[in-house]
This record gives sequence, structure tokens and C-alpha cells, in this order.
Amino acid sequence: MWDFLIPLFAATVQSGTPVLYATLGEMMTEKGGVLNLGVEGMMSIAALAAFWTSFTTGSPWLGFMAGGIAGMVFGGLHAFVCVTCLGNQVVSGLALTIFGVGLTHFLGVPYVGLAAPGFNPFDFPVLSQIPVLGEIFFKHDMLVYFSFVLPVLFWFFFRRTSFGLHVAATGEMPAAAAAAGLKPVVLRYFAVLAGGFMIGLGGAYLSLAYTHLWTNGLSGGRGWIAVALVIFAFWRPGRAVAGAYLFGGVMAFQLRLQAVGTNLPSSLLLMLPYLLTILVLILSAWRGRRIDAPAALGTNIEPEG
Amino acid sequence: MLKIRKRDEPWKWGALVVFLGALLFSLLVGGLILAGHGKDALHALDLLWQGSFGNAWALEGALLKAIPLFLCSLGVAVAFRMQIWNIGAEGQFALGAIGATWMALTFPDLPRYVLLPLMFIMAFVFGGVWAFIPALLKLKLRVNEIISTLMLNYIAILLLDFLVFDAWKDPASFGFPMTPEFTPGAVIPSIGNSGIHWGLFFCVVVGFGLWGFMRFTRLGFELKASGEGARVAKYAKIRYGMLVLFVMTLSGGFAGWAGCIETSAVLGRLQGSLMVGYGYTAIVVAWLARLEPLNIAFASFLLAALRVGVENMQLELQIPAAFGSILEGMILLTVLAGQFFLTYTLERRQGGE
Amino acid sequence: MTELHFTRPVPVRAVPEGTRPVVSLKGITKRFGKVLANDSISLDVYPGRIKALLGENGAGKSTMMSMLAGRYKPDEGTIEIDGQSVRFTSSKDAIAAGIGMVYQNFMLVDSMTVAENVLLGQEGSLFINPAEMEKRVGELARRYSLDIDPGARIADLSMGERQLVEILKLLYRESRILIFDEPTAVLTPEETGNLFKALWNMTEQGKSIIFISHKLEEVIALADEIAILRRGRIEGELDPSLIESKAELASRMVGKEVLLEVNREPVETGRTVLEIKSLTGLGLVDVDLTVKRGEIVALVGVAGNGQKPLVEAVTGLTRPPVDTVFIMGHPWRKFFAESTWNRSMCYIPEDRLGLATLRNQNLVDNLLLTTRKGFAKGLWLDKKRAARDTRELIEKFDIRPGRIHALAWQLSGGNLQKTVLARELYRQPRFIVAEQPTQGLDVSATEEVWNRLLEARSMAGVLLVTGDLNEALQLADRIAVIYRGQILGVLDTADADTPSKIGPLMAGVID
Repeated sequence: MWDFLIPLFAATVQSGTPVLYATLGEMMTEKGGVLNLGVEGMMSIAALAAFWTSFTTGSPWLGFMAGGIAGMVFGGLHAFVCVTCLGNQVVSGLALTIFGVGLTHFLGVPYVGLAAPGFNPFDFPVLSQIPVLGEIFFKHDMLVYFSFVLPVLFWFFFRRTSFGLHVAATGEMPAAAAAAGLKPVVLRYFAVLAGGFMIGLGGAYLSLAYTHLWTNGLSGGRGWIAVALVIFAFWRPGRAVAGAYLFGGVMAFQLRLQAVGTNLPSSLLLMLPYLLTILVLILSAWRGRRIDAPAALGTNIEPEG
Repeated sequence: MLKIRKRDEPWKWGALVVFLGALLFSLLVGGLILAGHGKDALHALDLLWQGSFGNAWALEGALLKAIPLFLCSLGVAVAFRMQIWNIGAEGQFALGAIGATWMALTFPDLPRYVLLPLMFIMAFVFGGVWAFIPALLKLKLRVNEIISTLMLNYIAILLLDFLVFDAWKDPASFGFPMTPEFTPGAVIPSIGNSGIHWGLFFCVVVGFGLWGFMRFTRLGFELKASGEGARVAKYAKIRYGMLVLFVMTLSGGFAGWAGCIETSAVLGRLQGSLMVGYGYTAIVVAWLARLEPLNIAFASFLLAALRVGVENMQLELQIPAAFGSILEGMILLTVLAGQFFLTYTLERRQGGE
Repeated sequence: MTELHFTRPVPVRAVPEGTRPVVSLKGITKRFGKVLANDSISLDVYPGRIKALLGENGAGKSTMMSMLAGRYKPDEGTIEIDGQSVRFTSSKDAIAAGIGMVYQNFMLVDSMTVAENVLLGQEGSLFINPAEMEKRVGELARRYSLDIDPGARIADLSMGERQLVEILKLLYRESRILIFDEPTAVLTPEETGNLFKALWNMTEQGKSIIFISHKLEEVIALADEIAILRRGRIEGELDPSLIESKAELASRMVGKEVLLEVNREPVETGRTVLEIKSLTGLGLVDVDLTVKRGEIVALVGVAGNGQKPLVEAVTGLTRPPVDTVFIMGHPWRKFFAESTWNRSMCYIPEDRLGLATLRNQNLVDNLLLTTRKGFAKGLWLDKKRAARDTRELIEKFDIRPGRIHALAWQLSGGNLQKTVLARELYRQPRFIVAEQPTQGLDVSATEEVWNRLLEARSMAGVLLVTGDLNEALQLADRIAVIYRGQILGVLDTADADTPSKIGPLMAGVID
């Protein structure tokens, strides 16, 4: 039993990690009051940017950063359309996804099937020796370890820094933030850019750690799952971790089943994460916590004279 | 120093100016991307033009592709008008194709005048149900319809995969994932000797039908009124919930019809190559057309032409088909940004000091 | 009129010789599109004094002060603080210059705590500690003996408490020039008295206060000097001690020699159109209320004491408990299941543009919004007849611009309200719910709305929900006072002591 479960749980952590990065990124964006449905496109292009950088420079770390920056650039596009030009946030996000996925397929053609230097798992000193938990959590690559810290940083940012308070105020009531002498537009840009960076890191994880080679459709709906998980998490980083690993678990489980070989057709197994997303939304709606959403989420700030 | 001012009157022709500007800008950037890729951008754009509008054959191809796009966009537009974000046209399209195929495979020997209507009905039902589910979830449990419709897209495509790889696979297909070919009774015939099938006529009927419905009927008026928000609808004693279910079913049904027509008239069987992203392009079309049925006709033809043109470039220059998505995404983004000028205008700040 | 719980400790204070103004506005002009909101306004504010800005809704008071608070930028003119010309690019600059403003709609983040709201933008360091922030704000509140829990979330506070939070903000920032925009609108008479005392004390400490209001008696009671604003211009400045009558002040404010009063001839009452029987729930406690045809019953109270849930339950927006609400003799459920488009109930809501009209549609569509069943022919709508009737209504009610293709958002507040009124009266209602029907309207529009409502009594009963006591006293036959979801009393307007009884009831005081 343990022989099956421990590798399964370890794989859960690994496949949950990119979703976790993206979920936190989208959460950051939404905390600032901007809905970004471009996550899928941003993860795709970031995965390619990361792969290309690592492939050309040989440095996975540079690649990782490049992924973040690509996400940030796309976030900037979204912010320009929505925050500056007051475009519809839903439609802009969709456009960004169409654009990002298209651009990824277009630019990625020459690299399909090629490998780039990526991140490899190593035993985390000391902690990996803990029985069971060490096996599950501390035999991964560096980016997984970093993702353990990220939710804490996220929490710290919003609860323990004034800047985080300003961003949250902008997501709740931009007029109040402005009256307090803050600049809501700048704060929203920050939220979208910082969120985009994290979403980009999630994309980079896909090409640099999850696989080390380039294939099309690497993102595979993870961006959308991240958007759903923000709702599931009630905009709290702790619950985002739970949600991301839940998905990681289902994806890992489904891959394992395929590897073991079952009678179930693979296409039906592949539906599992998507079905689970809907289920998760039903469950979180059931608990009726819509009030946790930032009050100004999805509404643009009209310019005043 | 410039200052932003809200317009007192809407900018006449502004929407058209913004649209053309966005188109031009996107083509320019698209050209630059191609140039950066080591292609001759001017030649490529010429190929794009030739492929879209250059000859009768190209126009015919565009018209063919415009048919499913038009139907999907109509569906998307009625939902968007009520501020219900149905992103699920892609999945509803697939379900429509599945419903139609089911009929075609179950009753292959029925005469055309019975079988085709049966396929259309089933396509509408399947597509409609696929949209009804998220509508119901939204109303009863406040489940975000953007995510649920999108997830249903992935599920629908996997279901289609399952059917063509497994359940409905043609034993004589040498292992290719596809259903047996439809009997003639299940195929929508061409108009005369042209390459265009009667689905075009169907589109014209549906388009005018919807236009008249929105303009002259009470239900259409209630739909338009509800577009301003659920609160107004409630104030006016409009049965908003029922309307959401109705509109989503209609929306999914239209996409389902598109799937039916594409399967029956173009492919003649169900196979994976059916799914080329019409459902997503339909969102672009609907928004560019500002959700107006008649504008949608033009916009879907235009974007269909773009697709055909990109295919032409793909053949001649080995440019990936994804170039089409790049253009679509960029046009939509620039239109969104440009729509700023429909509500606001910039003017010089007077005096200052 | 209700009495104020405030008498100023000393008469109007004189400006000592040689005092320089802290704030000088010089030739300030501001336009919004074609609307000239402020037209070359000049104004001086002196330290240690209360300056009242008196004007009707829409006269440009808030716009002018929002420029001083850095929210808007003037198109022309200069602002001087302590004799120095300043240009504010955002609220931040104004705050730094010592200007603090309490907006009419509080600028508070509902989901955050009192401490977080007070310190927002003034935290003083990158890292913050909620416990320490609460301690700091708690000390501040104690120093000024303001009773408030710094750890409470804004959403859980009453309107009066929220105002304290806004005041705490200004105190924390040590603002020298305090602007209050209609601060008493959400307060009980009692709370108003307390606020006035607090304002007076602050001026004693040398702060300058600008008090924006359209309520004459408040301005006379509190201010050291009054500036009257009309149609974006300063109409004149005067000394409150020299004012002979309120009517004189009012006429200068509205520019007419009338203080608005209407003739209310009693109408014979008929059948009961609304009956509420011991309704508990939805935030209401044991509410009983009846409205008969031929009478106007006003529901008054401080905003947020249960008016909203009551109106929503009566108008069908939310479902009340079974057997509590009866409309035109039918139980709620049955009434709304069977109600016809005409000769029934109509609702004139407070939110004209967001609820009562389709903002992006033309006037014909806006007429159809609630009357569409009357224009239905089977599945179809008779749009020709709708256009014709719209044209007639535009003429009858003098709605401008007089085009049926004008969109709702292009109409001014008064014309929009006339549109709603025209439409709803077109339905020949038997029962009207009118919610703040004249809020934000100018005098002539107000007069028109009042007369229409009085006329409507011949066919209908009216439930008038208002925060304007004068409106209630002018129009209503009976006045019901609501406090924390409870109706504390229903008073007859004909009784001489009714006006003085309303105030205590609004504050929850029953003798």
C-alpha cells in the first residue's frame, strides 16, 4: 500500500506545484480587483519563454526568471487594456488566452521534442530523512521547495505589510484608497504585474521541472483550473495550497492509472481534473462564501476629472 | 497636459473606426512577427489577402467557414447580451456534432427529409443541454459560468475523442479514429454545383429569425432589458432565472447546430479534426460585432476569411496555423483597448495654472 | 421642523484683525463635459471657524470641495493654502497640506477593521502589525473620548459609528482643514447634536471646518459664516446672526421667493391597498402598517434602519414570511403570481438609473420596461403604439430633451425621475411605493413630483419612504417612524406636536 501511496503523494506535490504558483498569481491579481482570465495563455507563453531561455543560455534559473517576466509582460497587456483603457476584464482575459496560446504554438514549433536543462530533484538536507513526510515533500526540485514558502510570503504581504493593505484596499474599494491618498491605478498595475510574474513562474515550472522537453499544449487547462481554485480558496493562500494539491493528486492518480493500465479509456480518465473543477466550484458555492471575493473585483476604475 | 473627458453623445461611426484601426494595427504587428521569423512580411500579407479574398475559390472557402462561426457567435452573443459569460461554444459545438452523429449512425437508412431534421433536433438538444447545465449551476448554486462552461469544453472534446477512438470507431478505418462515413441521407447537400451547402441558407433563416425575435417580441425585449442586469429585470418583474436558462439553452443549441452542419456537410463523419476552435473564435466575432446579429454576419465572414488566408500562408510559407489565433487575439485586445475612445475623449487641459 | 440638540456656546465668532485665511480659492472653474459644475468660485476659510456651504443638491458644493481635497483637478483658478499657491495631483497632496474630507458616501473599506481604515496610507512603515495598529487607533479614540472598537470590521458598524471612523482618520492625520459633506444625512437628531459639539470643539482647538449642507436650520445653528452656492456660483456670503428668517435664506439658496410648500387637500380614503401584519424577519421586527387608497403614509427613519428590506419585501424583490404582507387584499404570493401590469402596484425606487431604467436604452424601451404587457399582441410588441404614447408622455410631463430616442443615461436627474413617474402613473396604479422620490432634484422638479404624488391619491394609496422630514410633513397624512427594523410609532400629521415627536423616535427614544 505505502509503496503505491508514497510515490503517488510525492507526484501529487509535483503536479500540484505549477497550479499552486498560478493560483497564487491569479489570487494576487484578483486581490487588487482585476479578474484575469488569461492565465492559460500566460502559463503557455511563460513555459515557452522559460524553455527557450534555458535552452539557449543553458541556465534553468535564467529560464525560470524569463518565465516570470513573460507572465508579467502579458499581465501588463491585460492591465493596459483593463486598467488604463477600461476594457471588459472578462473579454480581455479571453483574448489574452487566445493570443498567448496561439503565440506559443507559433513560436514553439522549432523546439517540439527538444530538451533543455531543467531542475532536478534532490534530497533536501535533513528534512528528507523524516519518514513518509520526507519522502513526500522533500525529494523534489528547488522550485517545489520555493513553492512551500510562497503562500507564507503571500500571507505576510497582505497581513503584515502596508503595501499589501493598499493593494487589498484597491481591490475592495478603489475610491476609498484614492481618498486615503493612494494611487489605485498604480496599485492595480502592481497586482496584475506581480500576479502575472507568479503565473509565469507556474508556466516555467511546466517546461523546466515537470518535463524537461518542449511539447505543444503543455499547459493543458491548468490555467483555468487556477482561476477556479481562487474561488475555491476564498482568496486565502492556505486554502490555495489545499486546492492545488487536490488537483495535483487527481492528475497524478490519473497518470498512474494509465501507467498501470486499466480497462478505462484514457480519454475518460483525462476528464477527471475538469470534472473535479466543476465539483469543487459546486462545493465552494454550496458553502456560500461569495462575500470573500474582493468587493470591486471585475469593475474598472473610471477616471475622475 | 491632456485630460480625459466623458463623451456627452456616443461617437457615431466610432465603433467602425476602432474596429478598422484594430484590424490594421494587428496586421501590422502580425507582419512584424513574421518578419522577425525571417519571412517576407509583405509577401506573407499578400498571401493572406489572396487566400482570403483573392479569388472565387477563396471566397467560397471563407463562406464555408463562416457558417459554423456565425451560428456559434449568435449563440455566444445572446448569452453575452444578458451578461452570462458562455465560453462554452466549443463544447456545445462538439456535443451538437455528437448528437447529430448519433442519429446518423442509429438510423442510417432513413430518408433525408426525416433524418436531417432529426439530426438538427438532436444537435440542438445536445448542445442546449451542455449549456443548460452550467446555467442551472449558476442559478441554483451560483457556480461561476465562465469556469464551468470552459471545463465542459475540455470534457466535451475528451468525450468526442472517446467516441471516435472507442465506442463509435469505424471498424474499417484501419485504426484511424473516426466513425463510419454517413449515409447520403445524413449529409446536407450542396447548393447547385457550388461548393456551398444548404447550411448557408439555414444560417440566413436563423439570423433573421433571431434579429426579429430580439426586436419585435416581448421575450426579446425582456432579454434586452435583462442585459442591463438582474436587478433591473427583477424590478420589471421579468422572470430572470427562466430567461437565463432559456438563453443559455438557445446559445448552446445554436452552437450545436453549427456542430451538426460541420459534421454532416463538411466532414461527412465524426472525427477529431472537427474541433478547430470555432467556439473560441466565435467569442472574438461576437465581441467585435458588438453582439448585434447582423454585424455578426459580417464579422464571422471576415474572421473566416482570415482563417482561410492563414491556411494559404501555412501552405506557401510553412507558417503554423496558430498565426490565426495570434491575429484573432490581438484584434480583440486592440478593439477592447480602442473602445475606450467610444466613451471617453482626450482634450487639452485649459489654463492649467 | 425637528429641533436640533445643539446650541452654540457663544454667538458667531468674529475674525480677529489681521488674520490670514488658511485656504483661499481663487476663480475656480470646473466642467464635466458640457456641465459647468463650478463657475469661477472664490472663497476664503479662516482658522478656528466654521464655514457653511449652503446650496441645493447639484449646486456644485461637493465638486468644489472634492477639488480642495485633491480628488478632482480644477480646470481654471488656483488654490492657496496659507497664502501659498498649491496644485494637488492627488488626495495625497491634499492630505499632506492638512486637508481632510469626510465624503457623503463614506470612503471606508467594509471588509477591513477600523484601525486599518484609519491608518490606510498613513501606516508609517512597510511592515505592519494589526495588534499594534489597533492599539494606536484605540489610544487616539480615547484621547478624543470617541467610543469605538478599533478591531471591529466596518461592515458591522452603524452609520453613526462609521462617521466616527472618518473623523478619526482626520484626527490621526492631524488635518487642519476639515471638510464635512452632508454629514448629518445618516444621523439621528441626537447624533447630529453630538457631531455639532465635536465640530465646535475642534474649531476651539484652531481647526477650520467647512460644513456642506442643504439644511437651513443646521447651517444657521452651527456656522460662523455662510456661503451660498447656486448653480455652480457663489451667490453671496452672509453672517448667520444677521439672518432675519429662514425663508430669506431659502430664497437666496434656490433663487426664488418661495420656501417649498404644497397644498394638501385631504382626499377620502378607500380600500386598504397595503397591509403588513406582524412582519418579523429580513431585519424587521414585528412590523404592522396599513396604507389606504387616498392617503400618503410616510416611512421615515435614519438610513439603514430597515427601510430597504421593508420596501423590497413590499415590492416583490425579496420574499417575506407567509401571511405577513397583503397587497390590495391578496396575500403576497398570490398578488405577485397574478399581478397585472396596470391598475396594480408600482414602485418608484431610489436608484433611478440602476434599477428603474435601462441606462443604455431609449425612452420607448424605458416605457416598455414595466408596461410591456400592455403593448403585447401575442408574442409581439406593438412598438408603434409605444412610441406614440412615449411622445405623449414626454409632452405631458415636459421631459427634456424631448426626443424618444434619447438614452436614459443622457437625461438629468430630474428628467429621469419624471420619466419614471410618467411611466409608473401611466399604469394607473392603485398602490404606489415611492422611495426618496425627490432626492437630488431641484426645486421645480421636486414641486412637480410632490404634486403628482398628491394627485395620485385620487386613485391610489402611497407609501412614501423618505429621509427628508419636510417632505414627509408636507405630503403625508400619517408618518411611521422606523428604528432598527421596528416601527416605533405612527403619527398623524395633523397633530401639532408630531414634528417634535419624530426626532426622538428616529433615535429610538420612546417616552
